[in-house]
Amino acid sequence: MTRDRLNRFAWGVGALTALLFAVTPLVWMLLTSVKSNREITQETSLIPQSLTTANYVSLFSGREFSAYLTNSVIVTALSVAIALALGTMAAYVLARFRLPFGVHRYVGFALLMVRLLPPVVIIIPIFLIAQQLGLLNTQLSLIVVYATFNVTIVVWMMESFFREIPVDLEEAAMVDGDTRFTAFRRIVLPLAAPGLVATGIFTAIATYNEFLFALVLTSTPAAETMPVGAATLIGRINVDWGAMSAAGVIGALPIVLFSVVVQRHLVRGLTMGAVKG
Amino acid sequence: MAAATTPGTLGRTLRGAGLDRVLPYLMLGPAIFLVLGVVVYPLIEGLRSSTGFFRFGRMVRSVGLDNYRQAFADPAFGEALLTTARFVFLAVTIETVLGLGLALLLAREGRFVRRIRATLILPMIVTPVVVGIVFRLIYASDVGMLASVAHLFGLNSPQILSNGDSAFWGLVILDVWEWTPLLFLILLAGIQSLPVEPFEAARVDGAGAWRTFVDHTLPLLRPTILVAVTLRAIEALTTFDQVYVLTRGGPGTSTQLISIYGYQTFFQFQQVGYAAAMLFIVALVVILASGFAVGLMRSRGR
Repeated sequence: MTRDRLNRFAWGVGALTALLFAVTPLVWMLLTSVKSNREITQETSLIPQSLTTANYVSLFSGREFSAYLTNSVIVTALSVAIALALGTMAAYVLARFRLPFGVHRYVGFALLMVRLLPPVVIIIPIFLIAQQLGLLNTQLSLIVVYATFNVTIVVWMMESFFREIPVDLEEAAMVDGDTRFTAFRRIVLPLAAPGLVATGIFTAIATYNEFLFALVLTSTPAAETMPVGAATLIGRINVDWGAMSAAGVIGALPIVLFSVVVQRHLVRGLTMGAVKG
Repeated sequence: MAAATTPGTLGRTLRGAGLDRVLPYLMLGPAIFLVLGVVVYPLIEGLRSSTGFFRFGRMVRSVGLDNYRQAFADPAFGEALLTTARFVFLAVTIETVLGLGLALLLAREGRFVRRIRATLILPMIVTPVVVGIVFRLIYASDVGMLASVAHLFGLNSPQILSNGDSAFWGLVILDVWEWTPLLFLILLAGIQSLPVEPFEAARVDGAGAWRTFVDHTLPLLRPTILVAVTLRAIEALTTFDQVYVLTRGGPGTSTQLISIYGYQTFFQFQQVGYAAAMLFIVALVVILASGFAVGLMRSRGR
């Protein structure tokens, strides 16, 4: 009995420590963001003595931050949507068809290799090509690049989902007069919905958070995304801690809200995305 | 198709069959087109750039393998590789141990436990750039969280980011904070899919928690641990965002990871060909590691 209680106590201490370790840094950023600059620099208090929204007001006084937010949402939404559309179709083919000369196998392997390639290796040619095409500092360049990386993730994750769906269902639909594509759309896709959700969540988070390509390809608020905006802002202000923490909070907010909304599917999406993607 | 007797159904069947023959190519085409244009073509261009000498963003002449020779002769490149290797080794080791501990702790069901799990994965969701900001706010020598805590106890403020060794460890701790949740998630999934029988047998035999862990959990979990470690190590090899915000590679070169050095070679020093060659060497290392990971996953039948 006492041993049992001791175990439960140890468990509680462990869980609490982990929670504190995970949350404290974020809470500190949040607290700093509502302190006045005088309090941050002179009083070094742990808990804010008086709350202020001044840091947020100054952050949004210029137009840039709302522009970063808009750019991020547009780029993320479009590139994930394109990737889901094109990727599920490709994944379906790889899961179901045997193409002549084993094309499906080569394509599957090639897509996997692309997925394993560290993106940093093509950052220089992508920059040079975008420069030649006049696409530097456009949302389009980011959408195309992100859609491509996301497509490889979608194919990789969805292929196994499609394989788990029995072929009989589509065949029955086709006997009933559906074309193959209609059978795919009407029968297979709805059954693969959990996979689509998990894939969508993983790619959306990864895309919103992406920094290197956005840093290299964009240079003004016309196309800069939130991570680039936040990084350049703190590069410029350097010691304005209030503004820096407010920028951090605003930068993280969309993705944290998103994960609260999709909470039920989050763990699955992240685990699968990590292992499969 | 037995039903194809009336002209109407026959026509539809034929049209359907014709479309069905090209359908796989139509469905596969767009994705392949994107990958060819945005990955394969740039990759070839990148290989070409890595053998070139650039002036004002244009390749003026080919220099063969000189850029690669330069990389192996460049002490800064070697140092960056070494720093990266140290960083990856330390961070991933700590993350694995902590992640495994957490996974064992939280491998049970219940609403409360689910809440805890959802909260624990926050760090890996937060934008990496923001993670950089978070840790600048913690380490800042005058106003940071550590300084404030030290102040509370009447101690001097720790100077974390102005000293090479402590800045490096500061970066490791940042990575541990951000990515332990990933190891935790993968290992948790692994633990939850372990067979029940060996553990019941062990309990019947009266084995203690530690013995059960060493004799059963660890060996059964080994493949998952290997996969998780390899996956995390591959990603850690090209860590960039957090360093860019936290230290930009400094002080000195103490946190200059390979991707930061490559980026600076390209954007600050404008040595396009050399930077491209350097990144190709890194890619080669990563691909070898990835091949290893894929082999592992295949052997697990995933």
